Amino acid sequence: MKNKDLNILQSFNILYLEDDKNLRLHTKDVLEDFVNNIYTVGTSTEAFNVLINNKVDVIISDILLENENGIDFLRYIKEDKNIQIPAILTTAHTDTKYLLDAIKLKVENYIVKPINIKELLNTLHDILLPVIQQKEIAKNNNVIKTISVVTDSKQVEVVNFIFNNLNDDNMLVASYSEIMEEINISKPTLIKLFKELAEKKILVKVQHKTYRFDDKSLNSI
Amino acid sequence: MIFNINKFLKYFDAIAFSYKTNFLIFIITAGMISITILSQVSIFSLKHDFDVLFEKRTKPLIELEKLKDTYKVNIYDTYYDIQQGDITYKNSKEVITLATQLINQSWTTYKRKTENKNYQPSYITTFITNLFPETSLFKVEKILERNIIRNIDKKILIISNTMSTINTLLEKDRYAQAFEHIERLNFEVKSINIYLTSLSNYDLKLAVNEKRKTEKVFNIIIIISVISIIFVFLFSIILSVLIINNFKKLHNSLEQKVALKTNELLKLNDSLEQRIKKEVKNSRKKDMIMFQQSKLASMGEMLQNIAHQWRQPLGSLTMIIQSFQTKMMHGKLTDDFVDRKVNDSLLLADSMSSTLDDFRDFFNPDKVKTKFLVQNCLEHSLELSKYLLEKEKITFSLKVKEDIQISGFYNELSHVLLNIINNSQDALLAKETNEDKLIYIVIKKVNDMAQIVMIDNGGGIPQDVMPKVFEPYYTTKYKSAGTGIGLYMSKQIIEKHMQGTITCKNIKHKLGTNNLYDCTKFIISIPLEQEEQDKHNEE
Repeated sequence: MKNKDLNILQSFNILYLEDDKNLRLHTKDVLEDFVNNIYTVGTSTEAFNVLINNKVDVIISDILLENENGIDFLRYIKEDKNIQIPAILTTAHTDTKYLLDAIKLKVENYIVKPINIKELLNTLHDILLPVIQQKEIAKNNNVIKTISVVTDSKQVEVVNFIFNNLNDDNMLVASYSEIMEEINISKPTLIKLFKELAEKKILVKVQHKTYRFDDKSLNSI
Repeated sequence: MIFNINKFLKYFDAIAFSYKTNFLIFIITAGMISITILSQVSIFSLKHDFDVLFEKRTKPLIELEKLKDTYKVNIYDTYYDIQQGDITYKNSKEVITLATQLINQSWTTYKRKTENKNYQPSYITTFITNLFPETSLFKVEKILERNIIRNIDKKILIISNTMSTINTLLEKDRYAQAFEHIERLNFEVKSINIYLTSLSNYDLKLAVNEKRKTEKVFNIIIIISVISIIFVFLFSIILSVLIINNFKKLHNSLEQKVALKTNELLKLNDSLEQRIKKEVKNSRKKDMIMFQQSKLASMGEMLQNIAHQWRQPLGSLTMIIQSFQTKMMHGKLTDDFVDRKVNDSLLLADSMSSTLDDFRDFFNPDKVKTKFLVQNCLEHSLELSKYLLEKEKITFSLKVKEDIQISGFYNELSHVLLNIINNSQDALLAKETNEDKLIYIVIKKVNDMAQIVMIDNGGGIPQDVMPKVFEPYYTTKYKSAGTGIGLYMSKQIIEKHMQGTITCKNIKHKLGTNNLYDCTKFIISIPLEQEEQDKHNEE
């Protein structure tokens, strides 16, 4: 919870499969504050119904259910029904047999009871963060594409070139002529652009033909 | 001599004991027999000697006296009467003839008797007389006797001649001449009487002599027999003493041997006692260890049960505690929420606590017998092992035919029941078929016993294992799984603490289903409480 932004969980739905009524209730009480919706069920049949009728982002399941097995349920939906939803297993058993089955099913995490809520939330965060990030990237791409349509396309090309040629140390090693060989742009325009970037401390000249990109400077804009 | 005696004694010591006794018996018998024979022979020979003495010496004396009397009374007196004229010759003729005949008869009888060979002394007397020769006047006397007898013969002849002369003279009545001859006859009669007296004296002397001889023989025989008796007596005593000594020696050596053996036995006994003590101690120790082991084993199982029964409420509790933090974070920590969660937590904690109590009671040995219902105990045991049974998908059915109250140690019975349930469970787990796993339990009253019948379809106990199931340390399980003392301890508890019995056998049973299974059947019988029994009897 320290560094992770648990607010990202707010937009997701979770399915919680647990046969112990008490634990189910108390866990729901905790998790409902963090997520959009939590469906709590006691049997795999109920769980499957929820899965079909609702949008579920993560499944949390106990392994040892009354007369059935959480792993069997996961195997059923993943392999037979081809429903690929990230899953977390909780269990009181530290049996390696379950662990191996869990790994084969590409279960996201394996939490030993009693459940540490921080661990559970962190796992949820780790699972859901890429989903959020993918959404962000898609959004940003759209933004850039839209901007490049309404502004000078040559300048966008130069910015693209700069980011594509940054080395591991966020350094750009290139001369104007090299850039001009790649992009059909006039030298004055190029110099003006670099000057502008230098003023805003985005791309600072370190030495001849070497520039450093400072991503922190972007935040101050 | 002494050396020889010593040698003999040594030799005697060396011979076997039976020979010694035989020797003693032989000596005594031989001695007795010889003494008896000797005495008999002596008595008979002495009697013979006395008879001879009487026949040979006394009877002739009578004959001699007769002769004397005849001469004096018949002849002399008759002739004297004739001389005196008291009687006539004719009257006296017969008397004189008779006298002559008597004289002849007596004399011949005497001579026959003295010279009779039949009257010889006995062999013994002869033997002894020869052995102890006596210087006697016997030979001289013999000559004297012969002379006397010759003289008497002569005199008899003379007298008969004189008598015939007298008789012829008297017949011719020449009395004077006859009286003259009668005077001579008187003289002859007197002289023959003197001879006869001397002969009888001689005979008397001989008789006395022979009597002395006989006495001597008697004395010698007495001495010999006394000596032989003393000899036999002494020999017997010596032998007896020797044998008694031998006895003592034997006794002593035996006593020594016995003492030695007794000592050895005592030592052995001591060491045995120590060993037994040690073994008993060891076996007690083993029992203790065994008991501990069985306790630990069941404790392990109990712990597993406790762990499981605690896990769920513990999970909930953990969640509740964390929920306070998350609610706080979101500013949603309302009074209502706190109340709700605290109540839930307390309920959970209570259930955890009661679980602990259950198991703690289980491990506390009962100090006093209590009255309880058998089914309660069984239900409690099933409750305790419910987790493992459910985990292994074992279904159990309990059939209580009637409420049975017994008096005993609740927890111990609970241990036993759990133990058998665990055994059934292990048997069911080992089963490879896909049959249903069933445990079927019936509680009923049989006579004055409460009977708990527990049947599982675990396939039964193999025949070679069956006789050993109640033995200590016998286990069919892997070393890690069983200590092999469960059923042994169960038997001990049921038999020693509750005066009941526990048996097991293989049966075929349907267990309330349609299939026939190979089953193991355990029967625990516990005597009903006395009051219960009375009540039962009244009914």
